[in-house]
Formats: sequence, structure tokens, C-alpha cells
Amino acid sequence: MKKELMDILACPMCKGDLELGIEEEDEKGEVVVGSLYCGKCDERYPIEEGIPNLLPPELRQSSE
Amino acid sequence: MRKEEIKKVVRAGYAKIAKPDSSCCVPVNSCCGSTDLAQDIGKKIGYTEEELKVVPEGANLGLGCGNPVALASLRESETVLDLGSGAGFDCFLAANKVGKSGEVIGVDMTPEMVENARENAEKGNYRNVQFRLGEIENLPVADNSVDVVISNCVINLSPEKRRVFKEAFRVLKPGGRLMVSDVVLLKELPDFIKNSIEAYIGCLSGAIMRDEYIGAIKAAGFQEVRIIDEASFPIECMANDSTVKAVVEDLKIPPEKVKEIGSSVISIKVFGVKPCETS
Repeated sequence: MKKELMDILACPMCKGDLELGIEEEDEKGEVVVGSLYCGKCDERYPIEEGIPNLLPPELRQSSE
Repeated sequence: MRKEEIKKVVRAGYAKIAKPDSSCCVPVNSCCGSTDLAQDIGKKIGYTEEELKVVPEGANLGLGCGNPVALASLRESETVLDLGSGAGFDCFLAANKVGKSGEVIGVDMTPEMVENARENAEKGNYRNVQFRLGEIENLPVADNSVDVVISNCVINLSPEKRRVFKEAFRVLKPGGRLMVSDVVLLKELPDFIKNSIEAYIGCLSGAIMRDEYIGAIKAAGFQEVRIIDEASFPIECMANDSTVKAVVEDLKIPPEKVKEIGSSVISIKVFGVKPCETS
């Protein structure tokens, strides 16, 4: 996931800003593993293999 | 069926299409999901041979019903959002048009599809395409942030179509364009099809009446809403569609009836604009 795209990203529930947490980056500076946190909803959306999982919480859990 | 259940079965159905090898006994196949047929169908629904060639192999699953990209008149450096991006076919075509200074974002609720799309982006070395898991009814996208919203034969699958159009409206910048193609009805489908979950995944039972569809776009706030193109839903597509076949066989529908049903289903390409000043 490109960091520049943070501007466009929003929490799927409240549409508020998300806070990026980086655990692993690749050589191009893209986030491979990390999370996106919504302070308002107190919800953490995972980034795995470069893909942010921004499904609403209840749908996300049902897919696991 | 409740909307949560619909979403669940649709997601499961498309996960199987995304990873056909992962299961051995899947009769579910959507609008012509066979990759052998994908190229042929691609041409029939309006993609040029060139377009079919330039995208990474595997990105065209032959699941769409039109070519919104050709219509979207995308410009260099625009930001494009694809609702229900699947394996990424339309995203890659859009990416070629908006160039390096542009961005294309694909949202899909099926993890298997998003994974495929990401692999395809890597294969094709696309740096201006990003995919994320998300629901088109709850877009993980900021207000007023994209220039164009595209979607190809996906919104019919949503049990909350009005909400999808409202979300598209919200994320578009003022002056931003909506360009979608989808399956709609000219006549209501018989109940036995409406109630078939296979036909739902196959883009049939979820389809609503054309006027209702256009009404939902207008109700979301879009202006200059117009149908740019209308075509009968490719009959080859339906005939080859194992879903439809299974439904026809199961319910012993006579051929005339099949024809009648076929003629009440069409694909449309619709355009709309988010006005510059919203009240």
C-alpha cells in the first residue's frame, strides 16, 4: 500500500481519518504489513501483504 | 433472504470463481466465468483486441457486462475508483489511461479476488493501481477525493443499491463522474428465478428494473444522468452460463420461457455527474 494514498483512505464506518501503523515496508517504501487505526471507532484495520483490509468489522470477522 | 446473507453468498460465490482450483464441486459460475470464453466475451461487450492484450493475463475473468472505461473518457492524472474490481481488468485499463500521475483504486469485498488482482498488478508492473478489501456499501474512501467512479456489472449484486450510489456520490469530487455498466430488467423476473441464489450470483436475480436503477442514481444526487448505451445481455453469455443452465434444467423451464426471460434482461452503461455545488 502506498503511503501517499492515506489522504484518500477513510474509515468505512465513520469515514474519519485513519492513522497508519507500519510494521514492514518494501524497498519501494510501500507498506506490506501494518494497520490503519480509526480513533473515533476505536477500530484497527489490518494491512496484510500490502492489502488494507477495510471491510466493516462484522464482515471482516466472518471471513476469517 | 436478508442482506447480510446475500453478501455472504455472493462473496463465497466469487471467491470460488477467483480460485477455481481450490474446490472440486462448484456448480456456481457467474456471467460466463470460464477464462477460455473470457476473451471472446470481452470482445463482444466492447473491449478492443488491443485492450484485451495489454492487461496482465488472468485479469480478465469475463465477468463483466460492458466496458465503462471506454466511455469514462479518463484523463491523464485523474484518480479513479473501481467498485467491485475483481481480478483488476478494468483497473489496469484505467491505469493505462490516467498514466503515472494518476491513481486507480480497486475495492472488492472478496479477499481471493483482491489477492488475484494484486498478483496481476505485480505481473504487469502496474505502480499506479492499488487494491483494497472493502464493501461498496461502506466505501473506505474519504469524501470528495476521486475524479471518476467506475463499476462493471457489480452493483446488481448489492442488496443495497441506493446506498452504493450514495457512497459513490460522497467520495466523488464536485464535478466528478460516475460511469457504470450493469445488468437491469425491462420486466420483472418470475419468482422462481428471483429466489434462486445461483441466479443471484450470476447477476440475474439481484438486477432491478431499469427505471428504478436510474432513479436510485438520481436520488443519490447525481445530475445529467443518462443511459449512454443499452444492449441485450449477451445471450451467448447466458447460454454458456452454468448457473443459468442449472436453473433452467432444475426448474424445467421451457425454451420459450427462457427466451422471454432473456429479453427482459439488458445491460446498460450509465453516466452521471456530481454537481459542483451541492446544497
